[in-house]
Amino acid sequence: MTFRAPQLARDVTPGRFVMLEVEGGLRPYLRRAYSVADADPGAGEVEFLVKTIGPGTATLENLAEGSEASLLGPLGNGFSLAGLGRDARVAIVAGGIGAAPFPLLLRALRAAGHAGDLYLGGRNAAELDFRVRFEGLVDGETVVSTDDGSLGERGFITAAFARRAAARPVPYSRVYACGPMPMFAALARVVDRERIPAEFSTEAAMGCGFGACLGCVISGREKPFVISCVEGPILPPQKIAWERL
Amino acid sequence: MTVPSPTSEVPNTLLETRLGPLTLKNPVVTASGTFGYGLEFTDFVELSKIGALCTKGLSLAPHAGNVPPRICETPAGMLNAIGLQNVGVKNFLEEKLPRLRDLGATVIANVWGDTEEDYVAVVGALEGADAVAAIELNISCPNVEKGGMLFGNSPSATASLVARVRATTARTLVVKLSPNAPDLVESARAARDSGADVLSLVNTFVGMAIDPVTARPRLSFGTGGLSGPAIKPLAVRMVFQVARALPEVPLMGIGGISDLSDVLEFLAAGASAVQIGTANFRDPGVSGRLVDELESYCRDRKTTVRSLVGRAQRAPAGDEAGAEG
Repeated sequence: MTFRAPQLARDVTPGRFVMLEVEGGLRPYLRRAYSVADADPGAGEVEFLVKTIGPGTATLENLAEGSEASLLGPLGNGFSLAGLGRDARVAIVAGGIGAAPFPLLLRALRAAGHAGDLYLGGRNAAELDFRVRFEGLVDGETVVSTDDGSLGERGFITAAFARRAAARPVPYSRVYACGPMPMFAALARVVDRERIPAEFSTEAAMGCGFGACLGCVISGREKPFVISCVEGPILPPQKIAWERL
Repeated sequence: MTVPSPTSEVPNTLLETRLGPLTLKNPVVTASGTFGYGLEFTDFVELSKIGALCTKGLSLAPHAGNVPPRICETPAGMLNAIGLQNVGVKNFLEEKLPRLRDLGATVIANVWGDTEEDYVAVVGALEGADAVAAIELNISCPNVEKGGMLFGNSPSATASLVARVRATTARTLVVKLSPNAPDLVESARAARDSGADVLSLVNTFVGMAIDPVTARPRLSFGTGGLSGPAIKPLAVRMVFQVARALPEVPLMGIGGISDLSDVLEFLAAGASAVQIGTANFRDPGVSGRLVDELESYCRDRKTTVRSLVGRAQRAPAGDEAGAEG
């Protein structure tokens, strides 16, 4: 789903999000958070990958071509490429529509000259239809897995990643991940074991997106709660208290 | 040349409004819990432009709040059970208030505690802070185990707490009432009789949402406070009733206010100011815009905010709505 939003297309960086409002709605009343999937500053366009998960997303998908919506953003902290060496190789691990923020990240990695392997997991082949969106963006291997084996390897993508990460002579420089919380919890153990720095794009129900409502907190390790929208949504797994989720 | 005194009976602008000892430049106030400490909104609103901002509820010590999930959407509104997460009054005074003062904000400090002593201690901590224009006692938070709403749900508990705090401060004292109280007019009277200068009403209504598939509450706390346009007619009725029963008490109306017509409706019901709540989440610039829209309205109609307050009380056919029971 693409919107014309020239300023946002210029300003957005990988991993940041917007709060989107479809004009005049009372259901939903609040805006809904979406990671920006891709941006084309030249065309002044931003793209979102959308899966229906509730009234908000349904409203968005039902928008007719040419409709207007209000986009508040870019919000949140975004992925960091700082500190990656010239020959760095990173891994990008995505569970289902959790892949949403990655086209923009893949472009940024390419622009900086970094290679990256994409790990894409889903329940079945149909859930990963959007993978065409990643073709030509990955400077590395693409590994796909599905729970039912209908596409790629059978099993969880975290397991496919763990095997390959452990077998690498030179470890990955960084892991970027986005997906459901159970995937994150499993991946947190893997990156901890392999000592790979990681950035997780976390998901929490957001009321405002800019730190006012405190609705989107995640149980934290260093303090009781991390405010996902302003301290994240990109967080290192060490900051999250996985056992309390 | 005479300078109008701050207690002048005649408002010196279209928008000025009086809340007991406190005069606000306009009646658009942002509600506690929906506006952070104000500083989260500086990209969207000029804080000096709005009548006042009510801070996130402050406690003596920092408070972590409830475990997530804390919010869920409901038709025309939302449920929340944040659980009064806040940085504590000391951090507020050191980190937040100086910046708010530099930005020219009129600050109403919302405070809460588990016990009467807690409230007194927080109000005491704010005593030297000249940049705080008023204190708002939150006796109506439905999302904590102790204190909070317990003080708001019994007129005798309300009276005892307000009297204790009143005895310790000469500041403008606002008491934020709970719509969950068995008799809101009685609660309002108890607060007034114990020394409240202003009443703000209403806080959120206790509500609940259940996931139809898992049959589990959508909020970890079980219940939550309902806010947003869904509660507006309930809140208008309550403001109208309290304004009718206690016409001399200045009120701040709260409940689902999103646009100019909502503001005018609450003023008509008898509120001298309004608080914008959940709408700040959806539209962080709404409070500043409402000031502009209200000014245009008053200019176009050649009227003032003060004369808009309580118009519905003077209109005929209000008796039934004002009746109890």
